[in-house]
Amino acid sequence: MNNSESMKAARQTGPKYWRSLDHLADAPQFRKWVDSEFPSGAEAVADPVTRRNFMKLMSASFLLAGLGMSGCRRPEEKIVPFAKQPLGYTHGRARHFASAMPTRTGAVPVLVKQDDGRPTKVEGNDEHPDSNGGTNAFTQASALNLYDPDRAIRFAKNREGVTREAGLDAIKTIADQAAADKGAGLYILADQAVSPTRDRVRDLLLKKLPGAKWHEYEPVDHDIHRRAATEAFGLPVRPYYKLDEAEVILSLDCDFVGSEEDSALLVGKFAKGRKIDPVHPKMNRLYAVEALFTLTGAAADHRLRVPASAVHRVAAEVAAKVLTDAHFDKPGMAVVKNALVAHGSAPDVQSKWISACADDLKRHAGKCVVIAGQGQSEATHLIAHALNSALGNVGKTVDLLPVPAAKGGSIGELTAALSASKVKSLVILGGNPAYDAPANLDFANAMENAGEVIRLGYHEDESAPKKGWNIPLAHYLESWGDARTVDGTLVPVQPLVAPLFAGMTQIELLARLAGEAVFAPYDLVRETFFGLAGGKNENAWKRFLHDGYHAGSAKAPVTRVRLLVDRVTAAVKAADKQPSAGGAEQEVVFYPDSKVDDGRYNNNGWLQETPDPITKLTWDNAVLMSPATADALGLDNMKGFRDGQHDKILSESDSKVADFHDGEHNITERGEFHPEIVELSLGSRKIEGPAWVVPGMADNVFAVALGYGRSRDAESTGGAGRVGDGTGFNAYPLRAEDGMKFAVGVKVTRTGRRHQLACTQEHGTIDGRALIRETNFDKFTDAESGHADFAKGMNMPHPPGMEELPDHGLAYKNPLDDLRKNATHSWGMAIDMNSCVGCNACALACQSENNVPIVGKQQVIKGREMSWIRLDRYFSGDVNDPQMAHQIMVCQHCEAAPCENVCPVNATTHDDEGLNLMIYNRCVGTRYCSNNCPYKVRRFNYFDYNRRPLDDLYNTPLNPWNRKDGEWELTRWYKDRSKGNIDDDQWDLLALVRNPSVSVRMRGVMEKCTYCIQRIEAAKIAQKVKAGASGNVEVPDGTIKTACQQACPAEAIAFGNIDDPESRVSKLKAQARDYEVLDYLATRPRTTYLGRVRNPNPEMPDYREAPETFQEWEAHGNHLAHHHGHDHDHGPGESHGHDSDHAHDQHQNTEHGETAGKGGDH
Amino acid sequence: MSEHAPAIKLEAPPVELERPRLVSNNRGLGEISDQICDVIERPTPLWWKICMLPALTLLSLLGAMVVYLVTVGVGVWGNQHPVMWGWAIINFVWWIGIGHAGTLISAILFLLRQKWRTSINRASEAMTIFAVMCAGVYPLIHVGRIWYGWWLFPIPNSNGIWPQFRSPLMWDVFAVSTYFTVSVLFWYMGLIPDLAVMRDRCKKFFGKFAYGLFSLGWSGSNRHWRNYEKAYLILAGLSTPLVLSVHSIVSLDFAVSQLPGWHTTIFPPYFVAGAVFSGFGMVLTLLIPLRSVCKLQDIITVRHIELCCKVTLTTGCIVGYAYFMEVFIAWYSGSSFEKYAFWNRAFGPYWWGYWAMIGCNVVVPQFFWFKKIRTNMWIVFFLSILVNVGMWFERFVIVVTTLAREFIPANWGYFNPSPVDIMTYLGTFGLFFTMFLLFLRFLPMIAICEVKAVTPQADPHHPLGGAEEGGHH
Repeated sequence: MNNSESMKAARQTGPKYWRSLDHLADAPQFRKWVDSEFPSGAEAVADPVTRRNFMKLMSASFLLAGLGMSGCRRPEEKIVPFAKQPLGYTHGRARHFASAMPTRTGAVPVLVKQDDGRPTKVEGNDEHPDSNGGTNAFTQASALNLYDPDRAIRFAKNREGVTREAGLDAIKTIADQAAADKGAGLYILADQAVSPTRDRVRDLLLKKLPGAKWHEYEPVDHDIHRRAATEAFGLPVRPYYKLDEAEVILSLDCDFVGSEEDSALLVGKFAKGRKIDPVHPKMNRLYAVEALFTLTGAAADHRLRVPASAVHRVAAEVAAKVLTDAHFDKPGMAVVKNALVAHGSAPDVQSKWISACADDLKRHAGKCVVIAGQGQSEATHLIAHALNSALGNVGKTVDLLPVPAAKGGSIGELTAALSASKVKSLVILGGNPAYDAPANLDFANAMENAGEVIRLGYHEDESAPKKGWNIPLAHYLESWGDARTVDGTLVPVQPLVAPLFAGMTQIELLARLAGEAVFAPYDLVRETFFGLAGGKNENAWKRFLHDGYHAGSAKAPVTRVRLLVDRVTAAVKAADKQPSAGGAEQEVVFYPDSKVDDGRYNNNGWLQETPDPITKLTWDNAVLMSPATADALGLDNMKGFRDGQHDKILSESDSKVADFHDGEHNITERGEFHPEIVELSLGSRKIEGPAWVVPGMADNVFAVALGYGRSRDAESTGGAGRVGDGTGFNAYPLRAEDGMKFAVGVKVTRTGRRHQLACTQEHGTIDGRALIRETNFDKFTDAESGHADFAKGMNMPHPPGMEELPDHGLAYKNPLDDLRKNATHSWGMAIDMNSCVGCNACALACQSENNVPIVGKQQVIKGREMSWIRLDRYFSGDVNDPQMAHQIMVCQHCEAAPCENVCPVNATTHDDEGLNLMIYNRCVGTRYCSNNCPYKVRRFNYFDYNRRPLDDLYNTPLNPWNRKDGEWELTRWYKDRSKGNIDDDQWDLLALVRNPSVSVRMRGVMEKCTYCIQRIEAAKIAQKVKAGASGNVEVPDGTIKTACQQACPAEAIAFGNIDDPESRVSKLKAQARDYEVLDYLATRPRTTYLGRVRNPNPEMPDYREAPETFQEWEAHGNHLAHHHGHDHDHGPGESHGHDSDHAHDQHQNTEHGETAGKGGDH
Repeated sequence: MSEHAPAIKLEAPPVELERPRLVSNNRGLGEISDQICDVIERPTPLWWKICMLPALTLLSLLGAMVVYLVTVGVGVWGNQHPVMWGWAIINFVWWIGIGHAGTLISAILFLLRQKWRTSINRASEAMTIFAVMCAGVYPLIHVGRIWYGWWLFPIPNSNGIWPQFRSPLMWDVFAVSTYFTVSVLFWYMGLIPDLAVMRDRCKKFFGKFAYGLFSLGWSGSNRHWRNYEKAYLILAGLSTPLVLSVHSIVSLDFAVSQLPGWHTTIFPPYFVAGAVFSGFGMVLTLLIPLRSVCKLQDIITVRHIELCCKVTLTTGCIVGYAYFMEVFIAWYSGSSFEKYAFWNRAFGPYWWGYWAMIGCNVVVPQFFWFKKIRTNMWIVFFLSILVNVGMWFERFVIVVTTLAREFIPANWGYFNPSPVDIMTYLGTFGLFFTMFLLFLRFLPMIAICEVKAVTPQADPHHPLGGAEEGGHH
């Protein structure tokens, strides 16, 4: 790849001495010495006197050979591990450290696994008071960012590598200059962060240098929550939503389970209210008003699709309906009410929807919550606050937490100062403003007006100054810092490794600029902590680092608040003057991408290749639009649908269902998607992107994900990196300050050109198959309806006469039944589809834990992605307003596994504990197992994805012209069979991110979910050690968490011993909602699903008698079998399920089950 | 008929009811030898050179593709998730199927005393062997790690791991290797007397030596003939069940699995019928040009071609019945997955494959009801090619359409072959035709002794036969 060569060339011009050890390690003589199995000195083993010397030699060679770089050493500062004291450091044994991943508005408390000095896996810290241990996809993928070979690895001046000392000198010069000028002319542009230390150092700096100016900018405005609450209540506060305590939730374009910054936390709280206690069933109800079809909309019981620019009108109507009720017409609200009532009326269906929703909110006053999204204007947020205040939710389901008042100006003000040449020194802390600043500012050019620019950045990207300094930013896993989680709890950011490329933290740079004597981040953070914890208490500090949070530091909510009604009124009136999309007016919505966020994860291959949970697109973004909008544009994405040429179902069904099933919404040609490129223009600003139809989106809305379209041009090195460059299109050039979230008045034209997209799911509908099983809550709880046992009732009926046969008519006895009698455990998994929101965290966790490779866009197009977890997404119902359902699909670990008996070489077999094992070493790759797997969860290594660059997969190693680092591939292979044809510098980094407990698979080998067998085995060994002579080798429930289970913020996944009736998984499996996918094949999967229950309101205009998937299933001629949900005899009813787990049979009577509360039983 | 009671006497059958002679134009025994050996003994004909050139080119293409595949990975083919078997398995089954005609002709027709087989059995058997070789390439190279392919064989090893005998792929290994071994033995057995003829006629030293070596000292003595006939009968008996078993077992690759469209009990007989059908299609494709170019119209007569057409028609009808029965059972089963699978075959994204299959395998053979068509070599040649195309599509429909869309709609996909797939397939034609052309040039393509045995001249009681005329062979 040309880029890689230019990058390499650039690197080689870099400084010599700070990588000197590295260079030493590269010297051929040294390499040879290291590579020899026993370096010279091996004879010393025999000599007891010199043995110690030998051990020193060996450990030195280990560090150099195994890690290949000088930077990768254990941190110098004393850090305290989470569970094990450092004195027992054992090579090969992983250690865990508590830390936190800072986000824009908080932090995710994490536990990081460290293998021999390198962080490999990030997990949530479930001991944190406000976390259940769940994380989101970004947190899981952040480990890969640390080892991004394209991150900034040098101090650069004018985009040329220089020594670190030169860079430090430059900082010093600016600091001295600023000190002399009292800060005049020093402008700092920072990204958003909630770091007490950064705030403290900033205040120090501003105090010392009063003339300095502080600006903050984030391309995605998560700060709106704070700003709006501060505006509404007149105090510096931010809302904290206790969704778990809400019975009714109204989301105003708030994708709180998806794109909101605190999604991991909010998913957990929301999911708590969705878990159904079998004894006292109860669940929350979610109304969503939104423009895009988001995960929140998919989770919603009722969804109203309106353009983003019209959401505040819907919000106002709801508020008007609530406030006109005398009960809620509290003093002071009259003004708001009048403003809202005068607001105008919505179309009929909408108004019915709105009034029924408002009624529901009123019925649940004090137990409901209205939540507005980051993509909404302040007016919507203010209306939400007004509603929450009127309904008495504030202090109950919504807390207002005090936050530091905002300091600093906007990027617009900074640009003005730049243009006026007021800026002597510009310091950019993080972010990538040259790429993502509002287009009208032309920040990239404005930057050049600054006298001196220092930019602290993670990549040498668009913002790396052409004239000025780019300083490598340290990753959070290699830096000291602190943060506050959303509830205000103080958390440490601890390094797991010394900075790999001598990166610097923001606080260090700030301290250096301020001319502070102490600028080591460790000292700065400690000082802040001592300030907050009340004195220099070393034990408290150790405790803080050990636990990963400072107990009791959560902010107490502000209790005495009053809504400032005049502000709400003013905002509503102002917003009313803004145009809304509809009719001829169309809007464009800018939203943070589910994979690359605002662009910060663009070079992260794991994320790039993770399918978007809604569109299932990888490696690209697209212009999303509704079917009707696409139709109006004349796009042929819908052609198949309109002509009804594609799929027809065999059995006739009602027209509504058949309509939608007549085709794909985005038609495929020979299995590939080549949608047309459309041009979006707002005034003179234009962008182009491929059109993609999403059923259920609001009409007249075009949605574009931010963060793509990165590229390096020839003269500069700016861009995302070798992974992200060239993916998608850039939406930022269309986005200006007057329309940062959405803009009405966009003009869309077709270009006639096409662009290929890599979509992992070609068929978006479920075709009436009972894969996902859903019912409505009212039916589920109504014993008369027959839906209490709906999940098993949807099993395929057995042929007559089968029931009388032994073992439910299975012709052959399952050999596992005998083995199981002697096994200590029987592993199984239950997935609660009622909690799962489809956030992708599990998929990324699995990728990180199991060394799952990425394959690149071209291979994804061929369907060869390797992800062990697939998130199936189905639309059902009317194509314009469908319901969406998700199902995570992993290896089901069938007891009668169809893959096993067809493997000719015994490469996939069963163990006595019920695991369907995959023996990579034995696999020859006939792929028969995958063909015979009804769930299609096996993935095949078509190429050597781990050892060859993704753009070089089709090149044969015999090609003598194919050289990497000057060596022919076969020569490289001969010298080092593991390395393959990847650039040495990349290889060294990529090797570090791998989990050493999981083998890396070569080409020609099948792989699949193992239930994280490495974790199972580790726990079993630990239990055996613990058991000693007692012989109690049964691993207690909750000890083992699979990677997906650990990461799941919704706690939707339970894993454990199904022979233990008290285990969480057994209790879940004992619930009536438990079912097997493809039950009729009698594969007896160990992974079962808990059917989904929707909770619609019968008064709503879009009330569905049954979920669309259920209706579709019935439309295919199926009927719910009559089941006796509470009949525990081996009656004919129960025998449908082939339930071999006797836990099911024995314990249905006992009162247990997933409680609606926190899943703290593990 | 007279008014008297019919006399008890045997009348000679009317001339027009006599079975047509198997060798036309009353060729004598010597002429037969000359005609057949002439192909070998003449200087290398131009047509042979012209055919050999593309055959060798394609063979080298096969070599190149295999090297590329082995060094890079199975990904160079089009197969993907969920269609993990693509052209490799289609072509494997297709070539194996083609092989069946040879064994059927040489073994089953032998046991059934169908004397017309003698003119075509040698070439058909050669076709079988070469087709099985082409087929055998695929299971070897289609695995992900070819260098461990030997793990499929039950070789005692220090790991103590045996193959998994429950896997149909394992059965394939045994079935195909047994089939190949027995076919080669049977073919070679039949060749021995003719090799001796070649030895006796050959004038060049090397040829004489080679033919002599392989004719195993055949002297044509009574004792030799007696042993030969016994061995031939035994091998015919051994081969007969193999005709049925090989393709039955290949069909079990599919039938044993879970998938709708694969999991059917009709597969073994349906596959065997299809194999014979395609095999005879290939026999026709090969023999029609061959008899003209080698001037063997007297030995491979129009009647032979007609008989092959009739077999093709019969098996084509069986195959058509199987197609119908599959659809019927899918409906009758009541399983929505089965129903969808067959609906999808006919009207899904691969509808063209299904209708190509129906057209070529069910409609095309119906033309063979007509004698005019059966006796027109050009039309028969063209139709025989269609039969082979149809049978390729049958395997395509089974392998690809089933895998592309089975249980869970979310992982439905669409298979596209890659250029490497196509070139590897073309390459196997190179292998086949190279082998076949070498066979034509160096071995008697018709069983000389057997053909002679079915001529009237060989019958001592026939007016033309026996000692009266004498032969000069």
